Amino acid sequence: MRRRALLGAALLAAPALAQAAPKVVVIGGGFGGATAARALHHLGVSVTLVEREATYLSCPFSNAVIAGLREMEAQRFGYEGLRREGIAVIHREARTVEGRQVVLADGATLPFDRLVMAPGISLRPDAIPGLDTEAMPHAWRAGPQTLLLRRQLEAMEDGGVVVLSAPANPYRCPPGPYERASLIAHYLKTQKPRSKLILLDEKDAFSKQKLFEEAWAALYPGLLEWVPLSAGGKVVEVDAAEQLVRTEFGEHRAAVASIIPPQAAGRIAQAAGLTDRSGWCPVDPVSFESRQRPGIHLIGDAIIAGAMPKSAFAANAQARVCAEAVAALLRGEAPAPPKLINTCYSLVEPGYGISIAGVYQPANGLLADVPGAGGTSALGAPAAVRAAEAGYAEDWFRTITADAFG
Amino acid sequence: MPALAGQPAEAITGAMLAYRAGQGSPTVMDRIARGFTEEEIRAIAAWVSASR
Ligand SMILES: Cc1cc2nc3c(=O)[nH]c(=O)nc-3n(C[C@H](O)[C@H](O)[C@H](O)COP(=O)(O)OP(=O)(O)OC[C@H]3O[C@@H](n4cnc5c(N)ncnc54)[C@H](O)[C@@H]3O)c2cc1C
Ligand code: HEM
Repeated sequence: MRRRALLGAALLAAPALAQAAPKVVVIGGGFGGATAARALHHLGVSVTLVEREATYLSCPFSNAVIAGLREMEAQRFGYEGLRREGIAVIHREARTVEGRQVVLADGATLPFDRLVMAPGISLRPDAIPGLDTEAMPHAWRAGPQTLLLRRQLEAMEDGGVVVLSAPANPYRCPPGPYERASLIAHYLKTQKPRSKLILLDEKDAFSKQKLFEEAWAALYPGLLEWVPLSAGGKVVEVDAAEQLVRTEFGEHRAAVASIIPPQAAGRIAQAAGLTDRSGWCPVDPVSFESRQRPGIHLIGDAIIAGAMPKSAFAANAQARVCAEAVAALLRGEAPAPPKLINTCYSLVEPGYGISIAGVYQPANGLLADVPGAGGTSALGAPAAVRAAEAGYAEDWFRTITADAFG
Repeated sequence: MPALAGQPAEAITGAMLAYRAGQGSPTVMDRIARGFTEEEIRAIAAWVSASR
Protein backbone atom coordinates (compact mmCIF):
# COMPACT_ATOMS: atom_id res chain seq x y z
CA MET A 1 0.00 0.00 0.00
CA ARG A 2 2.62 2.45 1.14
CA ARG A 3 4.80 1.64 -1.88
CA ARG A 4 1.82 2.22 -4.19
CA ALA A 5 1.28 5.68 -2.69
CA LEU A 6 4.94 6.59 -3.04
CA LEU A 7 5.00 5.40 -6.62
CA GLY A 8 1.91 7.52 -7.35
CA ALA A 9 3.63 10.58 -5.93
CA ALA A 10 6.70 9.93 -8.04
CA LEU A 11 4.63 9.62 -11.19
CA LEU A 12 2.82 12.91 -10.49
CA ALA A 13 6.15 14.61 -9.96
CA ALA A 14 7.60 13.21 -13.17
CA PRO A 15 4.87 13.00 -15.81
CA ALA A 16 7.40 12.32 -18.60
CA LEU A 17 8.40 9.06 -16.95
CA ALA A 18 4.77 8.02 -16.63
CA GLN A 19 4.29 8.21 -20.39
CA ALA A 20 7.08 5.84 -21.43
CA ALA A 21 9.49 3.68 -19.48
CA PRO A 22 13.06 4.74 -20.29
CA LYS A 23 14.69 2.64 -22.98
CA VAL A 24 18.24 1.34 -22.86
CA VAL A 25 19.97 -0.19 -25.88
CA VAL A 26 23.09 -2.33 -25.46
CA ILE A 27 25.40 -2.81 -28.47
CA GLY A 28 27.57 -5.94 -28.36
CA GLY A 29 26.61 -9.24 -26.73
CA GLY A 30 30.03 -10.36 -25.48
CA PHE A 31 31.12 -10.71 -21.85
CA GLY A 32 30.53 -6.99 -21.30
CA GLY A 33 27.31 -6.39 -23.24
CA ALA A 34 25.47 -9.62 -22.38
CA THR A 35 26.22 -9.14 -18.67
CA ALA A 36 25.07 -5.51 -18.86
CA ALA A 37 21.82 -6.43 -20.63
CA ARG A 38 20.97 -9.04 -17.99
CA ALA A 39 21.95 -6.79 -15.08
CA LEU A 40 19.84 -3.90 -16.42
CA HIS A 41 16.91 -6.23 -16.98
CA HIS A 42 17.19 -7.49 -13.39
CA LEU A 43 17.15 -3.86 -12.23
CA GLY A 44 13.80 -3.42 -13.97
CA VAL A 45 15.08 -1.45 -16.96
CA SER A 46 13.68 -2.12 -20.43
CA VAL A 47 16.64 -3.36 -22.54
CA THR A 48 17.27 -4.21 -26.20
CA LEU A 49 20.54 -5.98 -27.06
CA VAL A 50 22.02 -5.58 -30.55
CA GLU A 51 24.54 -8.29 -31.48
CA ARG A 52 25.90 -9.01 -34.96
CA GLU A 53 26.39 -12.77 -34.51
CA ALA A 54 23.79 -15.47 -33.80
CA THR A 55 26.05 -17.12 -31.20
CA TYR A 56 29.06 -15.99 -29.18
CA LEU A 57 32.45 -17.71 -29.19
CA SER A 58 34.48 -17.17 -26.02
CA CYS A 59 38.15 -16.19 -26.28
CA PRO A 60 38.89 -17.35 -22.70
CA PHE A 61 40.03 -20.99 -23.03
CA SER A 62 40.39 -20.63 -26.84
CA ASN A 63 44.16 -21.09 -26.50
CA ALA A 64 43.35 -24.61 -25.27
CA VAL A 65 41.32 -25.15 -28.47
CA ILE A 66 44.35 -24.11 -30.56
CA ALA A 67 46.52 -26.60 -28.67
CA GLY A 68 44.02 -29.41 -29.23
CA LEU A 69 43.08 -29.66 -25.54
CA ARG A 70 39.47 -28.55 -25.97
CA GLU A 71 36.80 -28.44 -28.67
CA MET A 72 35.34 -25.24 -30.14
CA GLU A 73 31.78 -26.15 -29.20
CA ALA A 74 32.73 -25.71 -25.52
CA GLN A 75 33.37 -22.03 -26.39
CA ARG A 76 29.94 -21.37 -27.91
CA PHE A 77 27.13 -19.54 -26.10
CA GLY A 78 23.69 -18.56 -27.38
CA TYR A 79 21.25 -15.81 -26.47
CA GLU A 80 18.22 -18.02 -25.63
CA GLY A 81 18.94 -17.44 -21.93
CA LEU A 82 18.51 -13.69 -22.38
CA ARG A 83 15.39 -14.08 -24.55
CA ARG A 84 13.82 -16.45 -22.03
CA GLU A 85 14.17 -13.76 -19.36
CA GLY A 86 12.36 -11.28 -21.61
CA ILE A 87 15.29 -9.33 -23.05
CA ALA A 88 14.84 -8.30 -26.70
CA VAL A 89 17.84 -9.51 -28.72
CA ILE A 90 18.32 -8.22 -32.27
CA HIS A 91 20.92 -9.96 -34.43
CA ARG A 92 22.02 -7.10 -36.63
CA GLU A 93 25.13 -5.00 -37.08
CA ALA A 94 24.92 -1.53 -35.53
CA ARG A 95 26.42 0.99 -37.97
CA THR A 96 26.55 4.21 -35.99
CA VAL A 97 24.82 6.38 -33.40
CA GLU A 98 22.98 9.53 -34.47
CA GLY A 99 21.71 11.72 -31.65
CA ARG A 100 19.72 9.42 -29.37
CA GLN A 101 19.28 6.68 -31.97
CA VAL A 102 21.28 3.62 -32.93
CA VAL A 103 21.39 3.16 -36.71
CA LEU A 104 21.48 -0.49 -37.77
CA ALA A 105 23.17 -1.79 -40.94
CA ASP A 106 19.82 -2.01 -42.77
CA GLY A 107 19.01 1.61 -41.89
CA ALA A 108 16.49 0.80 -39.15
CA THR A 109 16.82 2.93 -36.01
CA LEU A 110 16.48 2.20 -32.31
CA PRO A 111 15.81 5.17 -30.02
CA PHE A 112 17.33 5.15 -26.53
CA ASP A 113 17.41 7.21 -23.35
CA ARG A 114 20.80 5.74 -22.53
CA LEU A 115 23.07 3.53 -24.62
CA VAL A 116 25.61 0.99 -23.36
CA MET A 117 28.30 -0.06 -25.83
CA ALA A 118 30.57 -3.09 -25.45
CA PRO A 119 31.90 -3.63 -28.99
CA GLY A 120 35.23 -5.17 -28.01
CA ILE A 121 38.25 -4.57 -30.25
CA SER A 122 39.08 -3.96 -33.88
CA LEU A 123 42.31 -5.46 -35.21
CA ARG A 124 44.77 -3.47 -37.32
CA PRO A 125 46.66 -6.01 -39.48
CA ASP A 126 47.52 -3.14 -41.91
CA ALA A 127 49.95 -1.87 -39.26
CA ILE A 128 52.27 -4.81 -40.10
CA PRO A 129 53.35 -4.61 -43.77
CA GLY A 130 52.77 -7.87 -45.67
CA LEU A 131 50.53 -9.44 -43.04
CA ASP A 132 47.97 -11.88 -44.41
CA THR A 133 45.82 -13.11 -41.54
CA GLU A 134 44.92 -16.31 -43.40
CA ALA A 135 48.61 -17.24 -43.78
CA MET A 136 49.50 -16.13 -40.24
CA PRO A 137 46.33 -16.24 -38.17
CA HIS A 138 46.06 -13.97 -35.12
CA ALA A 139 43.20 -15.96 -33.59
CA TRP A 140 42.61 -12.96 -31.33
CA ARG A 141 38.86 -13.24 -31.83
CA ALA A 142 37.59 -16.76 -31.24
CA GLY A 143 36.20 -18.30 -34.45
CA PRO A 144 37.53 -19.54 -37.80
CA GLN A 145 40.97 -18.08 -37.02
CA THR A 146 41.21 -20.25 -33.89
CA LEU A 147 40.53 -23.42 -35.87
CA LEU A 148 42.78 -22.33 -38.73
CA LEU A 149 45.75 -21.96 -36.38
CA ARG A 150 45.00 -25.34 -34.81
CA ARG A 151 44.88 -27.03 -38.24
CA GLN A 152 48.17 -25.40 -39.25
CA LEU A 153 49.83 -26.78 -36.10
CA GLU A 154 48.34 -30.23 -36.71
CA ALA A 155 49.60 -30.21 -40.32
CA MET A 156 53.10 -29.06 -39.37
CA GLU A 157 55.87 -31.63 -39.56
CA ASP A 158 57.89 -32.44 -36.46
CA GLY A 159 60.97 -30.19 -36.33
CA GLY A 160 59.25 -27.02 -37.56
CA VAL A 161 59.62 -23.58 -36.01
CA VAL A 162 56.46 -21.93 -34.66
CA VAL A 163 56.70 -18.14 -34.48
CA LEU A 164 54.28 -16.21 -32.28
CA SER A 165 54.12 -12.48 -31.66
CA ALA A 166 52.87 -10.35 -28.78
CA PRO A 167 51.90 -6.70 -29.40
CA ALA A 168 52.79 -3.56 -27.46
CA ASN A 169 50.41 -2.41 -24.69
CA PRO A 170 47.50 -1.88 -24.51
CA TYR A 171 45.79 -4.91 -26.08
CA ARG A 172 43.10 -7.51 -25.30
CA CYS A 173 44.16 -10.01 -22.60
CA PRO A 174 47.69 -9.04 -21.45
CA PRO A 175 48.72 -12.62 -20.43
CA GLY A 176 47.01 -14.21 -23.50
CA PRO A 177 50.06 -14.44 -25.83
CA TYR A 178 52.11 -16.11 -23.08
CA GLU A 179 49.37 -18.61 -22.28
CA ARG A 180 49.17 -19.36 -26.02
CA ALA A 181 52.95 -19.85 -26.23
CA SER A 182 52.81 -22.18 -23.20
CA LEU A 183 49.98 -24.36 -24.50
CA ILE A 184 51.42 -24.59 -28.03
CA ALA A 185 54.76 -25.54 -26.44
CA HIS A 186 52.90 -28.26 -24.54
CA TYR A 187 51.44 -29.50 -27.84
CA LEU A 188 54.88 -29.54 -29.47
CA LYS A 189 56.53 -31.23 -26.47
CA THR A 190 53.97 -34.03 -26.44
CA GLN A 191 53.27 -34.39 -30.22
CA LYS A 192 56.19 -32.89 -32.17
CA PRO A 193 59.16 -32.87 -29.79
CA ARG A 194 61.84 -31.83 -32.32
CA SER A 195 60.03 -28.54 -32.98
CA LYS A 196 60.74 -25.13 -31.52
CA LEU A 197 58.68 -22.07 -30.56
CA ILE A 198 59.87 -18.46 -30.78
CA LEU A 199 57.79 -15.77 -29.10
CA LEU A 200 58.62 -12.32 -30.52
CA ASP A 201 57.58 -9.57 -28.12
CA GLU A 202 57.17 -5.84 -28.69
CA LYS A 203 57.75 -5.37 -24.93
CA ASP A 204 60.54 -5.99 -22.44
CA ALA A 205 58.18 -7.01 -19.63
CA PHE A 206 54.80 -8.74 -19.47
CA SER A 207 51.99 -9.91 -17.21
CA LYS A 208 52.83 -12.74 -14.74
CA GLN A 209 56.32 -12.77 -16.33
CA LYS A 210 58.16 -14.43 -13.41
CA LEU A 211 55.51 -17.15 -13.13
CA PHE A 212 55.56 -17.87 -16.87
CA GLU A 213 59.38 -17.92 -16.92
CA GLU A 214 59.46 -20.26 -13.92
CA ALA A 215 57.07 -22.62 -15.70
CA TRP A 216 58.88 -22.40 -19.05
CA ALA A 217 62.24 -23.21 -17.45
CA ALA A 218 60.72 -26.28 -15.78
CA LEU A 219 58.46 -27.48 -18.62
CA TYR A 220 59.82 -26.26 -21.94
CA PRO A 221 63.61 -25.72 -21.68
CA GLY A 222 65.21 -25.39 -25.12
CA LEU A 223 61.77 -25.52 -26.75
CA LEU A 224 60.28 -22.10 -26.01
CA GLU A 225 62.36 -18.98 -26.59
CA TRP A 226 61.07 -15.51 -25.63
CA VAL A 227 62.61 -12.61 -27.55
CA PRO A 228 61.99 -9.25 -25.81
CA LEU A 229 61.85 -5.88 -27.60
CA SER A 230 65.43 -5.05 -26.63
CA ALA A 231 66.68 -8.27 -28.25
CA GLY A 232 64.81 -7.61 -31.50
CA GLY A 233 61.33 -8.80 -30.60
CA LYS A 234 59.36 -6.21 -32.58
CA VAL A 235 57.86 -7.58 -35.80
CA VAL A 236 58.34 -4.92 -38.50
CA GLU A 237 57.26 -6.82 -41.63
CA VAL A 238 56.21 -10.26 -42.80
CA ASP A 239 56.45 -12.12 -46.09
CA ALA A 240 53.38 -14.32 -46.18
CA ALA A 241 54.39 -16.29 -49.27
CA GLU A 242 57.80 -17.20 -47.85
CA GLN A 243 56.53 -17.52 -44.25
CA LEU A 244 59.17 -15.05 -43.13
CA VAL A 245 58.77 -12.84 -40.05
CA ARG A 246 61.14 -9.87 -39.98
CA THR A 247 62.10 -8.09 -36.78
CA GLU A 248 64.25 -5.06 -36.09
CA PHE A 249 67.26 -7.41 -35.72
CA GLY A 250 66.77 -10.20 -38.26
CA GLU A 251 64.30 -12.68 -39.70
CA HIS A 252 62.69 -15.99 -38.75
CA ARG A 253 61.36 -18.62 -41.15
CA ALA A 254 58.21 -20.09 -39.67
CA ALA A 255 56.52 -23.41 -40.33
CA VAL A 256 53.53 -21.88 -38.55
CA ALA A 257 53.16 -18.25 -37.47
CA SER A 258 50.55 -16.47 -35.37
CA ILE A 259 50.98 -12.71 -35.54
CA ILE A 260 48.79 -10.63 -33.21
CA PRO A 261 48.31 -7.15 -34.71
CA PRO A 262 47.87 -3.92 -32.77
CA GLN A 263 44.31 -3.17 -31.72
CA ALA A 264 41.82 -0.38 -31.08
CA ALA A 265 38.24 -0.07 -29.84
CA GLY A 266 35.58 -1.78 -31.99
CA ARG A 267 34.74 0.10 -35.21
CA ILE A 268 31.32 1.32 -34.08
CA ALA A 269 32.99 3.21 -31.22
CA GLN A 270 35.14 5.01 -33.76
CA ALA A 271 32.15 5.65 -36.07
CA ALA A 272 30.18 7.14 -33.18
CA GLY A 273 33.00 9.50 -32.21
CA LEU A 274 33.73 7.84 -28.88
CA THR A 275 37.45 7.15 -29.33
CA ASP A 276 40.29 9.59 -28.66
CA ARG A 277 43.63 9.76 -30.48
CA SER A 278 44.77 6.53 -28.80
CA GLY A 279 41.99 4.64 -30.62
CA TRP A 280 40.33 3.71 -27.31
CA CYS A 281 37.37 5.27 -25.46
CA PRO A 282 37.83 7.59 -22.48
CA VAL A 283 35.09 7.11 -19.85
CA ASP A 284 34.14 8.34 -16.41
CA PRO A 285 35.28 5.63 -13.95
CA VAL A 286 32.17 5.91 -11.78
CA SER A 287 29.39 5.79 -14.42
CA PHE A 288 31.35 4.45 -17.42
CA GLU A 289 29.76 7.30 -19.40
CA SER A 290 31.73 8.47 -22.44
CA ARG A 291 33.79 11.59 -21.90
CA GLN A 292 33.00 12.54 -25.49
CA ARG A 293 29.24 11.90 -25.83
CA PRO A 294 26.89 12.15 -22.85
CA GLY A 295 24.20 9.47 -22.60
CA ILE A 296 26.47 6.79 -24.06
CA HIS A 297 28.22 4.39 -21.67
CA LEU A 298 31.10 2.08 -22.65
CA ILE A 299 32.54 -1.03 -20.99
CA GLY A 300 34.98 -3.84 -21.69
CA ASP A 301 37.94 -4.02 -24.04
CA ALA A 302 36.97 -0.80 -25.90
CA ILE A 303 37.63 1.55 -22.96
CA ILE A 304 40.62 3.22 -21.36
CA ALA A 305 40.28 1.66 -17.92
CA GLY A 306 43.48 2.86 -16.25
CA ALA A 307 45.01 0.00 -14.25
CA MET A 308 42.28 -2.49 -15.16
CA PRO A 309 43.29 -4.91 -17.94
CA LYS A 310 41.22 -5.80 -21.01
CA SER A 311 39.78 -9.10 -19.80
CA ALA A 312 36.45 -10.89 -19.82
CA PHE A 313 36.51 -10.73 -16.03
CA ALA A 314 36.94 -6.94 -16.16
CA ALA A 315 34.24 -6.53 -18.84
CA ASN A 316 31.81 -8.47 -16.63
CA ALA A 317 32.65 -6.42 -13.52
CA GLN A 318 32.37 -3.14 -15.42
CA ALA A 319 29.03 -4.26 -16.88
CA ARG A 320 27.54 -4.79 -13.43
CA VAL A 321 28.79 -1.42 -12.18
CA CYS A 322 27.65 0.33 -15.36
CA ALA A 323 24.16 -1.22 -15.13
CA GLU A 324 23.75 0.09 -11.58
CA ALA A 325 24.97 3.53 -12.70
CA VAL A 326 22.59 3.66 -15.68
CA ALA A 327 19.66 2.62 -13.50
CA ALA A 328 20.57 5.29 -10.93
CA LEU A 329 20.88 8.00 -13.60
CA LEU A 330 17.49 7.03 -15.07
CA ARG A 331 16.02 7.52 -11.58
CA GLY A 332 17.70 10.93 -11.43
CA GLU A 333 20.20 9.80 -8.79
CA ALA A 334 24.00 10.06 -8.78
CA PRO A 335 25.80 6.71 -9.17
CA ALA A 336 27.89 5.53 -6.21
CA PRO A 337 31.68 5.19 -6.62
CA PRO A 338 32.45 1.50 -7.26
CA LYS A 339 35.14 -1.01 -6.40
CA LEU A 340 35.88 -3.62 -9.05
CA ILE A 341 37.77 -6.91 -9.01
CA ASN A 342 39.72 -8.60 -11.79
CA THR A 343 41.30 -12.05 -11.77
CA CYS A 344 43.02 -13.53 -14.84
CA TYR A 345 43.91 -17.18 -14.84
CA SER A 346 46.36 -18.64 -17.36
CA LEU A 347 47.20 -22.27 -18.07
CA VAL A 348 50.82 -23.14 -18.78
CA GLU A 349 50.02 -26.83 -19.26
CA PRO A 350 46.95 -28.91 -18.39
CA GLY A 351 46.54 -28.92 -14.59
CA TYR A 352 49.00 -26.03 -14.07
CA GLY A 353 47.28 -22.67 -13.51
CA ILE A 354 48.58 -19.26 -12.44
CA SER A 355 46.71 -16.04 -11.71
CA ILE A 356 46.95 -12.29 -11.37
CA ALA A 357 44.32 -10.37 -9.40
CA GLY A 358 43.58 -6.72 -8.69
CA VAL A 359 41.03 -4.53 -6.93
CA TYR A 360 40.28 -1.13 -8.49
CA GLN A 361 38.59 2.13 -7.58
CA PRO A 362 38.18 5.53 -9.28
CA ALA A 363 41.10 7.91 -8.64
CA ASN A 364 42.12 10.98 -10.65
CA GLY A 365 39.55 10.23 -13.33
CA LEU A 366 40.72 6.66 -14.00
CA LEU A 367 40.44 3.24 -12.39
CA ALA A 368 43.44 2.78 -10.09
CA ASP A 369 44.74 -0.16 -8.07
CA VAL A 370 43.57 -0.26 -4.46
CA PRO A 371 46.95 -0.14 -2.69
CA GLY A 372 47.97 -3.32 -0.89
CA ALA A 373 45.54 -5.56 -2.77
CA GLY A 374 46.06 -7.80 -5.78
CA GLY A 375 49.18 -9.40 -7.20
CA THR A 376 50.16 -12.73 -8.71
CA SER A 377 50.24 -16.34 -7.50
CA ALA A 378 53.29 -17.23 -5.40
CA LEU A 379 56.53 -18.19 -7.14
CA GLY A 380 57.81 -21.66 -6.31
CA ALA A 381 54.39 -22.93 -5.17
CA PRO A 382 53.90 -26.71 -5.02
CA ALA A 383 52.16 -28.60 -7.85
CA ALA A 384 48.99 -28.98 -5.75
CA VAL A 385 48.53 -25.19 -5.69
CA ARG A 386 49.03 -24.97 -9.48
CA ALA A 387 46.49 -27.77 -9.91
CA ALA A 388 44.01 -25.98 -7.62
CA GLU A 389 44.31 -22.80 -9.68
CA ALA A 390 43.81 -24.73 -12.94
CA GLY A 391 40.58 -26.04 -11.41
CA TYR A 392 39.53 -22.56 -10.24
CA ALA A 393 40.11 -21.30 -13.80
CA GLU A 394 37.47 -23.73 -15.02
CA ASP A 395 35.12 -22.80 -12.15
CA TRP A 396 35.57 -19.17 -13.15
CA PHE A 397 34.75 -19.93 -16.79
CA ARG A 398 31.52 -21.69 -15.80
CA THR A 399 30.54 -18.86 -13.45
CA ILE A 400 31.21 -15.98 -15.83
CA THR A 401 29.58 -17.57 -18.86
CA ALA A 402 26.49 -18.31 -16.74
CA ASP A 403 26.48 -14.71 -15.50
CA ALA A 404 26.71 -13.32 -19.03
CA PHE A 405 24.48 -15.71 -20.98
CA GLY A 406 22.17 -17.16 -18.30
CA MET B 1 33.84 -25.08 -5.22
CA PRO B 2 30.80 -24.68 -2.92
CA ALA B 3 28.57 -21.70 -3.75
CA LEU B 4 28.63 -18.81 -1.26
CA ALA B 5 25.14 -17.51 -2.07
CA GLY B 6 22.74 -18.15 0.78
CA GLN B 7 25.40 -18.91 3.39
CA PRO B 8 25.22 -16.94 6.66
CA ALA B 9 26.62 -13.40 6.35
CA GLU B 10 28.65 -13.81 9.55
CA ALA B 11 30.44 -16.86 8.10
CA ILE B 12 31.29 -15.03 4.88
CA THR B 13 32.48 -11.95 6.79
CA GLY B 14 34.58 -14.11 9.11
CA ALA B 15 36.24 -15.94 6.21
CA MET B 16 36.98 -12.68 4.37
CA LEU B 17 38.46 -11.02 7.46
CA ALA B 18 40.63 -14.11 8.05
CA TYR B 19 41.84 -14.04 4.43
CA ARG B 20 42.58 -10.33 4.80
CA ALA B 21 44.59 -11.01 7.97
CA GLY B 22 46.72 -13.56 6.09
CA GLN B 23 45.22 -16.67 7.71
CA GLY B 24 44.72 -20.02 5.97
CA SER B 25 46.41 -20.86 2.69
CA PRO B 26 44.24 -19.37 -0.05
CA THR B 27 45.35 -19.17 -3.69
CA VAL B 28 43.68 -15.83 -4.43
CA MET B 29 41.23 -14.70 -1.72
CA ASP B 30 43.92 -12.96 0.35
CA ARG B 31 44.81 -10.80 -2.67
CA ILE B 32 41.15 -9.91 -3.16
CA ALA B 33 40.19 -9.46 0.52
CA ARG B 34 42.98 -6.92 1.09
CA GLY B 35 41.19 -4.57 -1.34
CA PHE B 36 38.17 -4.06 0.94
CA THR B 37 37.47 -2.36 4.26
CA GLU B 38 35.70 -4.26 7.03
CA GLU B 39 32.57 -2.19 6.38
CA GLU B 40 32.64 -3.11 2.68
CA ILE B 41 33.20 -6.78 3.52
CA ARG B 42 30.14 -6.75 5.80
CA ALA B 43 28.04 -5.16 3.05
CA ILE B 44 29.20 -7.66 0.41
CA ALA B 45 28.64 -10.58 2.78
CA ALA B 46 25.09 -9.43 3.53
CA TRP B 47 24.37 -9.10 -0.20
CA VAL B 48 25.88 -12.50 -1.09
CA SER B 49 24.05 -14.15 1.80
CA ALA B 50 20.73 -12.70 0.63
CA SER B 51 21.19 -13.74 -3.01
CA ARG B 52 19.96 -17.09 -4.26
C1 LIG C 1 43.32 -15.94 -26.69
C2 LIG C 1 42.57 -15.14 -25.66
C3 LIG C 1 42.42 -15.63 -24.37
C4 LIG C 1 41.72 -14.90 -23.41
N1 LIG C 1 41.60 -15.42 -22.15
C5 LIG C 1 40.97 -14.71 -21.20
C6 LIG C 1 40.84 -15.24 -19.87
O1 LIG C 1 41.30 -16.35 -19.56
N2 LIG C 1 40.20 -14.49 -18.94
C7 LIG C 1 39.68 -13.27 -19.25
O2 LIG C 1 39.11 -12.65 -18.35
N3 LIG C 1 39.77 -12.75 -20.49
C8 LIG C 1 40.41 -13.43 -21.47
N4 LIG C 1 40.50 -12.91 -22.75
C9 LIG C 1 39.99 -11.54 -23.02
C10 LIG C 1 38.50 -11.51 -23.32
O3 LIG C 1 38.19 -12.34 -24.43
C11 LIG C 1 38.05 -10.09 -23.64
O4 LIG C 1 38.60 -9.20 -22.69
C12 LIG C 1 36.53 -9.98 -23.61
O5 LIG C 1 35.98 -10.76 -24.64
C13 LIG C 1 36.05 -8.53 -23.70
O6 LIG C 1 34.66 -8.48 -23.70
P1 LIG C 1 33.88 -7.33 -24.46
O7 LIG C 1 32.45 -7.53 -24.13
O8 LIG C 1 34.51 -6.02 -24.22
O9 LIG C 1 34.14 -7.64 -26.02
P2 LIG C 1 33.79 -8.95 -26.87
O10 LIG C 1 33.78 -10.15 -26.05
O11 LIG C 1 34.70 -8.91 -28.06
O12 LIG C 1 32.31 -8.71 -27.36
C14 LIG C 1 31.97 -7.75 -28.32
C15 LIG C 1 30.69 -8.19 -29.00
O13 LIG C 1 30.15 -7.08 -29.72
C16 LIG C 1 29.72 -7.50 -30.99
N5 LIG C 1 29.78 -6.32 -31.85
C17 LIG C 1 30.87 -5.54 -32.07
N6 LIG C 1 30.54 -4.51 -32.88
C18 LIG C 1 29.22 -4.64 -33.16
C19 LIG C 1 28.31 -3.88 -33.95
N7 LIG C 1 28.72 -2.79 -34.62
N8 LIG C 1 27.03 -4.28 -34.01
C20 LIG C 1 26.62 -5.41 -33.35
N9 LIG C 1 27.43 -6.17 -32.60
C21 LIG C 1 28.72 -5.78 -32.51
C22 LIG C 1 30.68 -8.62 -31.36
O14 LIG C 1 30.11 -9.50 -32.33
C23 LIG C 1 30.91 -9.30 -30.02
O15 LIG C 1 29.99 -10.33 -29.77
C24 LIG C 1 41.17 -13.64 -23.74
C25 LIG C 1 41.31 -13.15 -25.05
C26 LIG C 1 42.00 -13.88 -26.00
C27 LIG C 1 42.13 -13.33 -27.38
C1 HEM D 1 35.36 -11.86 -7.75
C2 HEM D 1 36.49 -12.49 -7.63
C3 HEM D 1 36.67 -13.69 -6.73
C4 HEM D 1 37.36 -14.82 -7.04
C5 HEM D 1 38.07 -15.11 -8.36
C6 HEM D 1 37.29 -15.69 -5.90
C7 HEM D 1 37.89 -16.95 -5.82
C8 HEM D 1 37.91 -17.74 -4.69
C9 HEM D 1 38.72 -18.92 -4.54
C10 HEM D 1 39.67 -19.47 -5.60
C11 HEM D 1 38.46 -19.44 -3.30
C12 HEM D 1 39.14 -20.65 -2.66
C13 HEM D 1 40.19 -20.11 -1.68
C14 HEM D 1 41.46 -19.67 -2.42
O1 HEM D 1 42.15 -20.50 -2.98
O2 HEM D 1 41.74 -18.43 -2.46
C15 HEM D 1 37.48 -18.58 -2.69
C16 HEM D 1 36.94 -18.76 -1.44
C17 HEM D 1 36.10 -17.86 -0.80
N1 HEM D 1 35.69 -16.64 -1.27
FE1 HEM D 1 36.15 -15.85 -3.07
N2 HEM D 1 36.53 -15.09 -4.92
C18 HEM D 1 36.15 -13.86 -5.37
C19 HEM D 1 35.43 -12.89 -4.69
C20 HEM D 1 34.93 -13.04 -3.40
C21 HEM D 1 34.20 -12.01 -2.68
C22 HEM D 1 33.87 -10.61 -3.21
C23 HEM D 1 33.87 -12.55 -1.50
C24 HEM D 1 33.09 -11.86 -0.40
C25 HEM D 1 31.90 -12.19 -0.11
C26 HEM D 1 34.41 -13.91 -1.45
C27 HEM D 1 34.30 -14.79 -0.38
C28 HEM D 1 34.90 -16.03 -0.32
C29 HEM D 1 34.78 -16.93 0.82
C30 HEM D 1 33.96 -16.66 2.08
C31 HEM D 1 35.51 -18.08 0.50
C32 HEM D 1 35.65 -19.34 1.37
C33 HEM D 1 34.65 -20.37 0.91
C34 HEM D 1 34.75 -21.66 1.68
O3 HEM D 1 35.82 -21.94 2.24
O4 HEM D 1 33.75 -22.39 1.67
N3 HEM D 1 35.04 -14.17 -2.63
N4 HEM D 1 37.15 -17.56 -3.56
